[in-house]
Amino acid sequence: MPATDITERARLAQLLGPAGRGQQAGRAASVAVGLAVVAQAAAIALAIDATVFRGEFPAGWIWLLAIGAVMLRFACAVVRETVALCAARAVRDDVRERLRRRMDALGPHALAREGGAAWAARYHNDVDALSAWPARYAPARDAACIVPPLVLFAAASQDVFAAFLLAASAPLILAFMVLTGLRSARVHARQQHEQGRMEAHFLDRLRALDLIRRSGALQRSAREVFAAADRYRQMSMRVLRVAFLSSAVMELFSAIAIGLVAIHVGFALLGGGDTPGITPFAGLFVLLLAPEFFAPLRAFAQGWHDRAGALSAARALATAIDGMRVAPAAAPPAPRGDALLVADALSVSPAADAPSVVEAVALRVSSGEIVVLTGASGAGKSTLLAVCAGFIAPRAGRLERVADIAWLAQAGHLFHGTLRDNLRLAAPDADDARLGEALAAAGLAVDDSALPDGLDTAIGEGRRGLSGGQAQRVALARAWLSGARLWLLDEPTRGLDDETAEALWSSLMTMARERGAGLLVATHDVRAIARAGRVLHLANARLEEVVDAPV
Amino acid sequence: MYGPSHAPAACCIWRTRVSRRSSMRRSDPLHVLLVGGRRWLAATAALLALTWVAGVALLALSGWFVTASALAGLGALAGLNIFTPAAGIRAAALLRTVARYGERVVGHEAVLRRLAELRCDAFERIASLPPVAQRRLRSGDWQTRLVADIDTLDAVPLRVIAPTLAALASTGFAAALAGWLAGWTAATLVIGVAVAVLCAAMFAGRAGRRCGEALVAGRARERIALLDHVDGMAELAVYGRLDASRATLAELARTHSRRLDGQSAVAALAEHAVQALVGLGTLAMLALALSAHVDGSISGPVAVLLALMVLGLGEALASLPGAGWRLGESLAAAARLDFGGAVLADDVQPRGDAGAAITARALVVGFDARRPLWHGLDLDLEPGVPLLVCGPSGSGKSALLATLAGELDPLAGQVRIGDRALAECGASDVALLAQDTVLLDASVFANLRLARPDVDAHEASRLLLAVGLDEFADGGTRGLRTRVGEGAANLSGGQARRVLLAWLLLRDPALALLDEPFSGLDEAARERAMSALEPWLVRRCAVIATHEPECFPAHWPRIERR
Repeated sequence: MPATDITERARLAQLLGPAGRGQQAGRAASVAVGLAVVAQAAAIALAIDATVFRGEFPAGWIWLLAIGAVMLRFACAVVRETVALCAARAVRDDVRERLRRRMDALGPHALAREGGAAWAARYHNDVDALSAWPARYAPARDAACIVPPLVLFAAASQDVFAAFLLAASAPLILAFMVLTGLRSARVHARQQHEQGRMEAHFLDRLRALDLIRRSGALQRSAREVFAAADRYRQMSMRVLRVAFLSSAVMELFSAIAIGLVAIHVGFALLGGGDTPGITPFAGLFVLLLAPEFFAPLRAFAQGWHDRAGALSAARALATAIDGMRVAPAAAPPAPRGDALLVADALSVSPAADAPSVVEAVALRVSSGEIVVLTGASGAGKSTLLAVCAGFIAPRAGRLERVADIAWLAQAGHLFHGTLRDNLRLAAPDADDARLGEALAAAGLAVDDSALPDGLDTAIGEGRRGLSGGQAQRVALARAWLSGARLWLLDEPTRGLDDETAEALWSSLMTMARERGAGLLVATHDVRAIARAGRVLHLANARLEEVVDAPV
Repeated sequence: MYGPSHAPAACCIWRTRVSRRSSMRRSDPLHVLLVGGRRWLAATAALLALTWVAGVALLALSGWFVTASALAGLGALAGLNIFTPAAGIRAAALLRTVARYGERVVGHEAVLRRLAELRCDAFERIASLPPVAQRRLRSGDWQTRLVADIDTLDAVPLRVIAPTLAALASTGFAAALAGWLAGWTAATLVIGVAVAVLCAAMFAGRAGRRCGEALVAGRARERIALLDHVDGMAELAVYGRLDASRATLAELARTHSRRLDGQSAVAALAEHAVQALVGLGTLAMLALALSAHVDGSISGPVAVLLALMVLGLGEALASLPGAGWRLGESLAAAARLDFGGAVLADDVQPRGDAGAAITARALVVGFDARRPLWHGLDLDLEPGVPLLVCGPSGSGKSALLATLAGELDPLAGQVRIGDRALAECGASDVALLAQDTVLLDASVFANLRLARPDVDAHEASRLLLAVGLDEFADGGTRGLRTRVGEGAANLSGGQARRVLLAWLLLRDPALALLDEPFSGLDEAARERAMSALEPWLVRRCAVIATHEPECFPAHWPRIERR
């Protein structure tokens, strides 16, 4: 087995740790199912033997045995399933808890690189795929290891050659299963890729519907959507026709094995056979056992792609959980005097194992002061700001900061809910009058046409109905409501048009002046630089005060 | 939950199209799914039934053969022809394999064919909605659900209908055989077992649907909470709400886990209950057949055949709970995908009346009748004299353009192009360059061909050069085949804007509406684009919304908004 596979297994074992406890109970239930299967076959064979060959209607105990076996099988199967579900739940809950802890440890700065959608995919789809291992694959695997040998042993006790026929077909089936499995993993990956491409095409045409309609090309595009899906069909069928062939071979072996057992037993009973001494009971018993020998193997084969899915999910989850190292950030102590933020010999890096982007800088923001940080993109402005906000621990140096801060990033996040919910995030006790005041201060009237229901306007994903400028004003009103003394702003007007940016800067500065708040702003915007008290330029990991700010 | 079928008043252009075409399709997605694929579905069900019947035959015939051989060996049965049943057993084994393979290939072909049609159908339905209603369908969550619903729906033939039909056919075959061999009691017993399984399946389906709906809704809530937690973590942390958000997330995860367990437990219970029902049914048939044998009405081998036949039927019946289960999910998905009938406007045919004048009388524009943005507007536009609408953002410039484009119904008043009402016009008469820059994730050339399918590389390159996109013209550094990327990610904002300007130049409408045409362009790029645009603009009526009127010739008339 290749080395990658071994580390993969270790990773999986680590993620599946919580599933381990119930597995013994599940295996015990599988053993009981196997015994019930044998008992059921024996009871039916006994009943037939008694009536057809000895002319007496089966005794009551035979019927009791048969009904008992059916019920025992039912009960044990349910137990096995319950155990599997509990294991799956334990794994699911554990991995999700780890992901939640991991998200908090990474903090907003590191999370922003991938965004919520990537984490939602992990948190939901990958965890579901992983929990299919304890829920479906592992029980099927255990049953395939336990039930067929029991059945084989029972069959061998009556007729060795029939047992041999069954046993001989098992390696062939397993060999084909591995072949199918290996192939289906590749097929599965390719299918997923092609399906992803087709879906991307479909969603892209939906997203661009306005453009398509305005081009007068709706029917052409509908035909294109069909053509893309049809290409996917042709590609898939070429692959699937071959993939199904190997599973058909497996089916053939099990059907032929059952047929061979029947024919062998029949000829033996006829008297001319090679196994003298076989009884009618033994013949019927072996025949009834034959399908039960293959059923768990078939279920195992079907569980194979659960395995492939769980392995690839485990890869994604393990990378997410053990990925980039981060140092936990502790709340910085408050500075003395009227300073809001004091940094000394501060070095910062975006991750614990990344080089410093800012080396040994000093920084001070006092009440009512507006400090602008400039520098080329990628120079480390955002990272420095994130350290000041307490999202990342500094690599070295001293940082003191007041506890009440407000935060406004390039696209301030608006939460799913009403406008009121969004504003109250910063001030849970504020009444509507105060919320209206905050909006007005941020330059957005409550009766604006963008807010059809006033404070009750629903703000969904993608800031439904609000433009970028309006959304930033809501975020600004939120900062105002928080009553924070220190405001940290990361490119608050990037992506806005000139006019909106100008209006936002003037609201922002007025609000800050009213509040006497200190501002630390990372931006390129000349309008902010013109209004700044001090401008600091970040280059080559150093901060330098700009004396003649370019206006 | 996201069904936008109760759209507000449809927009004029698209509504007229709907009423004009009589051959409107009024079927729901499930109908499209089933009627279109009848033959493939029937073939799948037939092959599946054949697979199962072959399985039943394999087991039943084996039982008959073993018993008959034993009786013959004991001398109790004379003149047994051993070769026919042995050949029958081999044939059943082969038939089962072949039928199984055929069923899988045909079934998947059927599903994938449906999938192409369902996607096209969903696209047509959504594209037929009024533009205002479409705008609500842009969110990523909504799109994820849409794709998931289509996937759910296209599993219907393979996982719901074909198994149900095939299980019914297999049961019918077994019941007929039982009736023929051992009278109506045996037939009734076979049907009774099937009915009991069907009841269990329906029960599981009902319970599953309830759990399933709660699960889907809970999953959506959980996803929203997670997106807010991750994307809004900075705000949560700064305003001291991180712990509360984390607790909400953990609580939602617990609830979801509990619901999921409930659903899986019902599914597992149903599956094993069917197995137990089939086991008990086999015993009942055995008792019935053995009593009949004691009475002398049927032979021993036939009694064994009957019991094993019921046992073999278990495979077919086991598919029913899953089918019942999925049926509920599929009906819900189909209801969500039913956006109403699909009627697409015809593709653009150039009409050649670019010189018509545009008039608007007593026009009231806005999204909400209580707060109109424009009131009693009269416009008389002549070709050759573009009108500038100036003012700050939020003053209703875009709403006016959307109304003139027919994408937003006027609150009152009307617009005429030449002697026709706007409602009778289509995409060939009006061209709107909207404020947001959206392009197809395809090549630059493909985006231009949207405007005119017959444009050749030479003409496309000429226009790209004219708007200053030398790099995408043939012979440029990147060329016409440059892929635009999702959300035009491979292009800068200014490049994407200019691709749209080239797209506009390929159109030949009577009325051109441009919303901030040069946003994101620097001074030099703006001048070059303007020199390409001007001769095109003056050949028709045009309205340009801008907050920088100084970029346009001073003699063009303008409306100022405050």
